[in-house]
Amino acid sequence: MSLSDSWDVLVLGLVLGSLYAVIAIGYTLVYGVLQLLNFAHSEVFMAGGFGGVIALTIVEPAVDPSGMQSAVYVLLGICAGAILGGTIAFGLEKAAYRPLRRRNAPRLVFLITAIGASFFLYNLAGKLFGRYPIAMPTMYENKTVFTVFGTRVSITQLIIVGAALVMLAAVDVIVNRTKLGSGIRAVAQDPEVASLMGVDIDKVVSRTFVLGGLLGGVAGFLFGTNLQVEYTMGFLPGITAFAAAVLGGIGNVRGAVLGGLLLGVVEAFTVEIWSDAWRYVGAFAVLVLVLMFRPTGLLGERVGRAA
Amino acid sequence: MPTCLGSFQGVYQVLNKSIVRLAIPVAAGALLLTACSDDGDGGGGGGDTYKIAYQGPLSGQNVALGENMENGVQLAIKEANESGEYDFTIEYKPADDQGAEGQSTSAAQSAIDDPDVMAVVGPAFSGPTFVAAPLYGQAGLAVVSASATNPTITEEGFPTFLRAVPNDNAQGSAMARFLASQDDVESVMVIDDVTPYGEGLADVAMEELEAAGLQAQRESVPADTVDYGSAARTVTSANVDALIYAGYYEALGPFATRLAEAGFEGIGISGDGSNDDEFINLAGGASEGWYLTCPCTDASAEEATQDFADRYQEEYGEAPGTYSAESYDVANMIIQTIAGLDGDVNRQAVYEALASGEYEGLTKTFSFTDTGEFENEGIFLYQVEEGVRGYVGNVDELVGG
Repeated sequence: MSLSDSWDVLVLGLVLGSLYAVIAIGYTLVYGVLQLLNFAHSEVFMAGGFGGVIALTIVEPAVDPSGMQSAVYVLLGICAGAILGGTIAFGLEKAAYRPLRRRNAPRLVFLITAIGASFFLYNLAGKLFGRYPIAMPTMYENKTVFTVFGTRVSITQLIIVGAALVMLAAVDVIVNRTKLGSGIRAVAQDPEVASLMGVDIDKVVSRTFVLGGLLGGVAGFLFGTNLQVEYTMGFLPGITAFAAAVLGGIGNVRGAVLGGLLLGVVEAFTVEIWSDAWRYVGAFAVLVLVLMFRPTGLLGERVGRAA
Repeated sequence: MPTCLGSFQGVYQVLNKSIVRLAIPVAAGALLLTACSDDGDGGGGGGDTYKIAYQGPLSGQNVALGENMENGVQLAIKEANESGEYDFTIEYKPADDQGAEGQSTSAAQSAIDDPDVMAVVGPAFSGPTFVAAPLYGQAGLAVVSASATNPTITEEGFPTFLRAVPNDNAQGSAMARFLASQDDVESVMVIDDVTPYGEGLADVAMEELEAAGLQAQRESVPADTVDYGSAARTVTSANVDALIYAGYYEALGPFATRLAEAGFEGIGISGDGSNDDEFINLAGGASEGWYLTCPCTDASAEEATQDFADRYQEEYGEAPGTYSAESYDVANMIIQTIAGLDGDVNRQAVYEALASGEYEGLTKTFSFTDTGEFENEGIFLYQVEEGVRGYVGNVDELVGG
């Protein structure tokens, strides 16, 4: 593999990896505050994709949009994805998980509820939107923006990585610098003490879900732009992003980012060196290897401490 | 319907513990669905009633292909019942396998368990056929697929399987011969989607390409891959003159888009799995110029099927799709066979009459070899031009022999 080939593959890997990173944060935040593996998060992601499709279908993008129009379409898609993702996550917490917390249900019940909610949501989406793939309406002509070391970077790739970077930075600030962030960290560290100190646990948990949902929804929209939108689209990226969260150390926001990027890049190089059929073999071999030597993940569980 | 609702409301008011509050509407809804939604019979005709089942994807990702065929079958049944020519009534029975192996067993079982079902049109796809054909064989139920084209199906010796379509050997070879006849094609990449259909088609195409003296490379890209950017890169960096994609339109859609962005300028050609207008919807401008082969004719473009196309249009408000006319033919072949049995109708008799008979359909003449293989071969070429799937013609004639 020549150097320019490596760059090509690295770009593909970083684009995919930054999507994984954004989804992985949703898993890791919820795990941080509730020790819950929210498998329905993949459906929050799927909802974001449909949010983008719905919004863009309503406005009907112009055939030959100007740069300004394109920017508006993309922003609209991002907002629609975020809103639908956030709403589903909020509703999910309210309807499915909060009643269980009230009753102090065992951990296993939460897990089964999460899996059930996931099945419920994606089948509902299949019923509502049809069980076939839908292309994201064209928002711009996806041409090459610039070339780095002979590697072409397209508008879509730029938008995905750009949006991901903004969101990752924002989450880092929210978790570490804001009142909500200290609430999240306090609940993650010790819910009982946090509530004694005047933290409203219900509110913090609900907002954590919404935060993860906003990110997941936007990721769904971006993923749909890069591929297509379908009721089953959440499954594979969801599982991979969950693996990324574990790889980085579940509960750790920066770990989720690191894990996501790493898995994306490993996938891209696996495909390049062997073939697309080996994609997950390579990626998950790395996952197993890392966990063998660092069972708590690359950065360990650290939401509780100032991560 | 209102009476059903009323009785439940009474119960609902009596019970009002928190669990019940949740459970009752759900149970009521389920009961309403089963008790109050009787579709009623189709009626028409007289005498005995026989059913023709169709097994294919009526939900799931490939529903567009499945519905094309379902419509063809239903139209044939409707016309037969309305014609008054037969002293029996035909009913339609759908068996949805979602185009997936996992759903194939239960779909097949639902058709087998209904004693009125005399023959099955389908399964639509090759993968589910491998699962369902042995079951149909055990039940002695004839299963006539108008679209499962994997060559090895007929090598398995399924007792009651008949293939009413040329297999992928014909299609793969037609693709290869067409590419070989193009002056500027010397190297070709063949990509399959890791399904029995795609792999079968790609195997044959590879053999034929090498036999034709072209450089051929093989890659596999699973249909559910999360990023076609990598696959597109593989194609462009291999610098090939042409690409054969052996898979379905739902995957070719995004793949073609990434290929166009990656700057692939060679010839793109795919098979009947991608020969659907949904491909153009998914890929948009990137579908431009793609060739698609199919053992199916274009019902609207061929004279013999023009009349059928008009009736289909009238019934469903859209032009016949891939395999609509073929499914219509197969359903009619079954109806005629049942009529020819003169009342002595059972599954075994229907199968034997189908397997040994010959039927002149709209699209082609149907007859089968001992293994249930289709006897004639004819592959047709389509090309996407200005957002429309245009009919190019018979590959044999295009290649010139």
